[in-house]
Amino acid sequence: MSSAPLLAVADDPPVSLWRDAWGRLIRNRLAVAGLVMVLVLAFAAAFGPMLTPYDFLSQNLDARNAGPSLVHLFGTDDLGRDVFSRVLYGTRTAFVVAIVVTALAVTIGVTLGATAGFFGGLFDRIIMWFTDMTMSVPNLLLVVVINASLKAPLSQWMETQYLATLNPFFRETIWIDFLLVFGSMALIAWPPYARLVRAQVLSIRSRPYITAARALGLTNRIILTRYVVPNAIGPLIVSVSAGLGTAMVLESAFSFLGVGVNPPTPSWGNMISDGLRVWQHYPHLLAVPAIVLGLATVAFSFLGDGLNDALNPRGSK
Amino acid sequence: MSPALLRIENLKKHFPVRLGAFGEKAATVYALDDASFDILEGETLSLVGESGCGKSTTGFAILNLHRPTAGRVIYKGENIAVFDEARMRPIRRDLQIVFQDPYSTLNPRMTIGEAVGEPILFHKLCSKAELPGRIERLLADVGLPGRFAQRYPHELSGGQRQRVALARALACEPKFIVCDEAISALDVSIQAQIINLLLDLQEKYGLTYLFIAHDLAVVRHISDRVGVMYLGRLAELGTREQVFADPLHPYTKALMSAVPEADPAGERTRQRQILEGDVPSPLDPPSGCRFHTRCPIAMEKCRSSVPEWRDTGAGHFVACHAVP
Repeated sequence: MSSAPLLAVADDPPVSLWRDAWGRLIRNRLAVAGLVMVLVLAFAAAFGPMLTPYDFLSQNLDARNAGPSLVHLFGTDDLGRDVFSRVLYGTRTAFVVAIVVTALAVTIGVTLGATAGFFGGLFDRIIMWFTDMTMSVPNLLLVVVINASLKAPLSQWMETQYLATLNPFFRETIWIDFLLVFGSMALIAWPPYARLVRAQVLSIRSRPYITAARALGLTNRIILTRYVVPNAIGPLIVSVSAGLGTAMVLESAFSFLGVGVNPPTPSWGNMISDGLRVWQHYPHLLAVPAIVLGLATVAFSFLGDGLNDALNPRGSK
Repeated sequence: MSPALLRIENLKKHFPVRLGAFGEKAATVYALDDASFDILEGETLSLVGESGCGKSTTGFAILNLHRPTAGRVIYKGENIAVFDEARMRPIRRDLQIVFQDPYSTLNPRMTIGEAVGEPILFHKLCSKAELPGRIERLLADVGLPGRFAQRYPHELSGGQRQRVALARALACEPKFIVCDEAISALDVSIQAQIINLLLDLQEKYGLTYLFIAHDLAVVRHISDRVGVMYLGRLAELGTREQVFADPLHPYTKALMSAVPEADPAGERTRQRQILEGDVPSPLDPPSGCRFHTRCPIAMEKCRSSVPEWRDTGAGHFVACHAVP
């Protein structure tokens, strides 16, 4: 037997699929641009509010609606609040909402999708019925209904609790905002993850390497952790990256409509909503949050596309 | 004759087809019905037949990768067909399988070394310190250099991957390997290499093979005994000489007449026997003998009664009413 054809692999270092994907990602200019913008925004969300001399709530009625200057980088709004500080805090709001909502949605979606895909049968049918049902309800409508029907009674309940107990926990109603925003958005965001994961698990479950692993006697736990998850996670990463961007846009949209994060907590959405009323006179009040929201959307979509090309090289082009 | 390593008795595998909103059982695929045969120690037993005739199902059912619907698989005196996964685990070490498609039988996220080392560690066949040496020896056994251990499957060719799949099966120190179309997806030149490798390994480790294939030339080259399947049932089983030179079942005769001969004189005089019609659906197999719809010598009896699976002498089994 000749050994020549067996030595066909060159002597360059072995490349794992992950490292290979990383190599493709950092060669993709748009993806790198997206990644850098995402990192800058994440940095702003984490440390931004500490870096400005102004509090996002402190009003300076002597300097209302000031244009951009060295004192106020992006100017001030109708109450004299520093727009730069508010936009930074809005970035934090956007990230917190996006991360928590996506984490919740992924947890629900992956659990349900993996259960449906792995066990099949009646489980699969019931879970998928439920998924389709949730998907068929218009997103905006569901969020509006939840917020409109729950926010007032919950706030009222908090108020009575505060008056009864004087426990400071009940005074801060901002948490209701977040709770409702997180909850209602996670409720509409999980079905795509469930479908994706179910499809992945179904397709991987029937691959010969799973049968091969079973033939070796490996336990279900090993098969799941070493075979199913590493092979299923690529599309999920892409989907999560795109989902983070979508969640930010959704949060802004809801805040814009007044069913999301409420003033005075800054969110890009409610800043845009405020700015829209006076944009003829003070365009910077609309432009700054709108541009930042636009950049964030573009950043996540570039990164998502780049990840998709990097992780599923055969699917692209 | 060597003793039987595995004894298969009336093995059946039916797959329910579920349709509709509530998963009602709509139909049954009769993939394998009433197969009975022994697999002898150290032999190569080939199963041949058209696609969809149940060859692979037989291999999967023997290994309990598809739980048999009925029947018994006797290994070391126990019926492993009813074993659950936990009881199967120690037995899986002895009974291994190599698949057809070398591009999808290896986990793309694991290096070759990890893939080959995994069963060794899992079944605790050696210590962690000995592992690299062990992996290198296994790779050498299948004709691959040790440095391949650092590679990923996507960096290898089809033939190389099939060697890795074989090394992985060998890592458990098995007694029996099902080669499920193990060479069908490879180039002809690579096929020859892998066949020679399989024969070398059989000699070195005393392996028993169940070789599932549709390439009759290859089967004639490597088999000790050959079983012929048609639509989920065994038609005939005997030694290579019995089946190739003296086929009894009309289906086997037709099948053998399709094998080209290397000798030009023989090839010129070869009488081809072409079967009429198509293979019926395994969802609704014909009554009686499943071959009667296409059999040139079918009798009235063949429509109604299932021919008995019997030994016509010297271990030559056949299921046909027309054979005396």
